[in-house]
Amino acid sequence: MTTAEARAATRDAAAPMLDVVGVSKSFRGLKAVSTASLSVARGEIVALIGPNGAGKTTLFNLVAGALSPDQGTIRFLGADIAGERPDRVCAAGIGRTFQIVKPFADMTVLENAMVGGFRGTSDRRLARSRAERALRSLDMWLQRERPASALTLPDRKRLEVARALATEPTLLLLDEVMAGLRPTETDQMVAAFRRLNAEHGLTILLIEHVMRAVMALAQRVYVLHHGEIIASGTPQQVTTDPRVLESYLGTGATH
Amino acid sequence: MQRSRLGLLALLAVLLVVPLALDRYLLSVMILILYFAFVGQAWNVMMGFAGQLSLGHALYVGLGAYTSAALFQHFGVNPWLGMVAAVAICVAMASVIGWLAFRFGIGGTYFALLTIAFAEFTRIGFDHFGWVGASGGFFLKVVQQDRVDLLHLRGHPLMFYYLALALAVLGFLASAWLLRGRLGFYFRAIRDNEEAARAAGVDVFRYKIYAVQISAGMTALAGVFFAFYYNNLFPEQIFHISRSIEIILAPIIGGVGTLFGPILGAAVLTTLSEGINALLTMSGYEIPGAKQIFYGVALGLAIMFMPNGIWPAIANRLGFRRQDGDDDDDG
Repeated sequence: MTTAEARAATRDAAAPMLDVVGVSKSFRGLKAVSTASLSVARGEIVALIGPNGAGKTTLFNLVAGALSPDQGTIRFLGADIAGERPDRVCAAGIGRTFQIVKPFADMTVLENAMVGGFRGTSDRRLARSRAERALRSLDMWLQRERPASALTLPDRKRLEVARALATEPTLLLLDEVMAGLRPTETDQMVAAFRRLNAEHGLTILLIEHVMRAVMALAQRVYVLHHGEIIASGTPQQVTTDPRVLESYLGTGATH
Repeated sequence: MQRSRLGLLALLAVLLVVPLALDRYLLSVMILILYFAFVGQAWNVMMGFAGQLSLGHALYVGLGAYTSAALFQHFGVNPWLGMVAAVAICVAMASVIGWLAFRFGIGGTYFALLTIAFAEFTRIGFDHFGWVGASGGFFLKVVQQDRVDLLHLRGHPLMFYYLALALAVLGFLASAWLLRGRLGFYFRAIRDNEEAARAAGVDVFRYKIYAVQISAGMTALAGVFFAFYYNNLFPEQIFHISRSIEIILAPIIGGVGTLFGPILGAAVLTTLSEGINALLTMSGYEIPGAKQIFYGVALGLAIMFMPNGIWPAIANRLGFRRQDGDDDDDG
């Protein structure tokens, strides 16, 4: 399925929650993302995969407002959010994590999550209950009083997710949160996302290299290569696509 | 945290009673401690909580002092009303500095330099500001000191002691309240990582401005106190960069970003420096700059042996988990 077909297919369903159309971004003449389009429907879990340097994180940063696109439109829940400030994008309902974790190092795990919990409210109790729920759903409850600086890298990754979750997003952007996790930990996190998706209808767009997680989670997959979407479809379709095998997974790839 | 709360109440009780037994000199030392505890607390809101380094806080002390003193002297404006004006002017000044810096992405060292620059050119401006006496100084009418006139902030040093105590308590409570709420959380998030704060929904620009405004407003109160306690103001003294450094020493040595650090730091530093002064006077030696050397040595030692300040070191020993106070309504 080509990107045009994929777009047509989602258009036939309801209007997508997130609709990225023809977005490009260059850094000093180097095209990081080139007329990329993707869409995520309400309640979907969509993965964005591709080799290192393909432009996945750049595309994320464009959606989350950390970067402004040179061209193209980004619509979220019907509103154009291209070039909008990150805190406004968050306020609109998009939570994100960072590939290179950015914990609030001098604050506890609970306090980190509470920062997210204060989205749209100054009610401390509400912020706290949101944060506690996020920590529980990621099995971080017992670590809530530890300073974030004392966490291991996998736990910092989970804290990234907890902080984003505490903002109670409608769309969650996950940037390689399973990298470096052991297989059992990956499975736990996959289970947590499935639960959030099933019980709360949380929509998720994730960048991931861990194919085990992609296959288990994603209903649809986009493949980015040299800044362009080269394939999209179900995990099975994508992983058997010759272009994807050649550019990313390798011809001997199994999962 | 019950234990620290009880300790605080005990300390407050002592502070309420103790001045009655002090002579004039010791009373003035106590006033200095409380004054520095309060200004340190105000500076700490900006640096300790929100991570924005100001090296020019004497600017707000001076502006607050001159505003209230000039209104009182020239127009007979009640100092309590003058205080409102002083806070307003300092908040406005802070807004200008904050807007200039944060709108154009100036942070860290460059922001600190900007705060010095504003304090310095304000000092030079006041040196030539004839309406308030220029470099010759500005003097408030001194009245008999045995009459206590709280309404006009005239009276015995004991009255100023209790005013300083009220300021210190107010500063502590305000800081504790700030830390508990959204402002405090957002400030600390900005201090730790601006980009992550933004992604978590924090309007970083707006909250940095809030931090600067709150800090400046609090410092303005200290300025008003300064004016009516000392009755004379010289630009060369009040706006000078050494004053700005003096302000930040207590929280740095006590513990940046903590609630008790500024208080502890002020107590330790003022006591030691006054002690050294007293010793020197007794021994009959006159050593110019002894105080400055002492400050330098104290700062050096603190940074070498307790880089996070005295309070965190003590808190660890006493087994306090943390003192940002997030444990009282645990479910």
